[in-house]
Amino acid sequence: MEEKFDCIIVGGGIAGLSAAMILARADARFLLIERGEFCGAKNVSGGVLWGSDLNELVPDFGDSSEGFERFINHRRLTFMDDQSAFSLDFKSAHFEQTPYSGVTVLRSKFDAWLAGKVEAQIEQGTHSESSFLATDILVQEVIQESGRVVGIRAGGEDFFADCVILAEGVNNLLTRQIGIEPAYVPADHVAVGVKEVIEFDKSVLEDRFQLNGRSGLTNEFVGFCSDGVEGGGFLYTNEESLSVGLVLGMKDLREKKKAPQDILNQFKEHPAVRDMLTGGKVVEYSAHVVSTGDIDAVPERLYDDGVLIAGEAAHLLLNAGKAIQGMDYAMRSGILAAEAVLAAREVSDFSGAQLSGYQKALENSYVLTDMHNFHDAVKLLHDPMMFGAVPNVICDFGRQFFTIRSEPGQKSRHMMTAAVKRHSSYWDLIKLGAKAARAL
Amino acid sequence: MKRLSISERLGLVSYRNQGRTDAKAHIEVDTDICNSTCPHQCTTYVCPAKCYTLDEAGELHFQFEDCIECGTCMYACDQGAVKWSYPDPETGRGVNWNFG
Repeated sequence: MEEKFDCIIVGGGIAGLSAAMILARADARFLLIERGEFCGAKNVSGGVLWGSDLNELVPDFGDSSEGFERFINHRRLTFMDDQSAFSLDFKSAHFEQTPYSGVTVLRSKFDAWLAGKVEAQIEQGTHSESSFLATDILVQEVIQESGRVVGIRAGGEDFFADCVILAEGVNNLLTRQIGIEPAYVPADHVAVGVKEVIEFDKSVLEDRFQLNGRSGLTNEFVGFCSDGVEGGGFLYTNEESLSVGLVLGMKDLREKKKAPQDILNQFKEHPAVRDMLTGGKVVEYSAHVVSTGDIDAVPERLYDDGVLIAGEAAHLLLNAGKAIQGMDYAMRSGILAAEAVLAAREVSDFSGAQLSGYQKALENSYVLTDMHNFHDAVKLLHDPMMFGAVPNVICDFGRQFFTIRSEPGQKSRHMMTAAVKRHSSYWDLIKLGAKAARAL
Repeated sequence: MKRLSISERLGLVSYRNQGRTDAKAHIEVDTDICNSTCPHQCTTYVCPAKCYTLDEAGELHFQFEDCIECGTCMYACDQGAVKWSYPDPETGRGVNWNFG
């Protein structure tokens, strides 16, 4: 293919498709290449898409019955030891208004739906015959000329563009090829997610989780669920299924010699989880590497001459204890990358200096602002006490507090002192508290 | 709920080119490293698809057919034994998620 595209996007996940939507709206001529049979075929997430950016890409998406699974109006954070579960639970009608601030998704369905929206947008422009979402094609390498990215090689053919957006996901081989990230990414920069999709009779699911229409629940877990390994568990309601899984620190998993699928079994058999899963049928088991969301893992520069890096390929993700935000970060970075390409097109300058505007835009958005601001919180969550002593103390206290014996009871502070002594020490908790005070 | 074995779990995965007996491997593992100098052989337990196994003699073996392209081994192996790439859509193996 001789004629040059305005932009080539590698990857038809959320970052790539978001970029594509913005380019299609601006009537730019672009090529998006996805290696899966369709957009979404290779993609896995927990998954909740947080925030309201989706409404920017697909206005009024909430009115449609397609794309997402359920909107979230019910949040739960559960601390667990081997026998008990102590939860913070919040449900609010405020979360029922559109645009929703969180929706559950199954990527194979969601990404394909979003790709359909992008294609419809392309149809409305003047490049309906020359802008493409090309699937089932693997990009082998990025083509560089005198240090500048000029295109990509795929299926033995060369394709050229003014600018390339790499939105290839966390296993970012092309980002490494051009030297934006080193060839070997160490284990402590990533975690591994394992998940099962468990199908239920819709009425059983609705009754069991008190779902109303398309409303949904997210439940995160910390403690026993990760079997001493850094990380935590999740349970999300989809339309007719649950997504149940774990995210486990790669380095810690290696050092503790644990198998993720065994920990998943143990998590599912915890008394509190077991009773939520009764009667369900596992229909898919999946796994994928996920960034830890530590700003230290983000490459220093997310641009170079003729190229931009978006989504998890740039390690853009945040888990500061409230939510695992990866897909909204992908969406916003994809949007900002496309806007940077359009700005570069205005001045016909695709140099790194011009494209550095993308990085500035990320710094000014919630993406890098929050990754910087909540860096201490991210570090705090990686403290072994957070998935060991803390949930154990909380559950131990809960058990004492909620136990009614037919004998004189103790005051709560005595129960707390005893619980702390059994699992930790006040000194350790004070040190952790000091860290938390700085972080939050 | 019944506990699922790894083979039952992988039985739920849709793989590409399932009928192809000559599928091209997308991951190459230098098992000489695993079986000589590696201090942990961690891939045998961290791989969520159990593509890395130890035989009775304690030798590590790798097969790519069950790989679900998660990427774990690329990071967990710090000995330079794993050469990881994506499967070719036409000639390789790899997954086709039904839910994702």
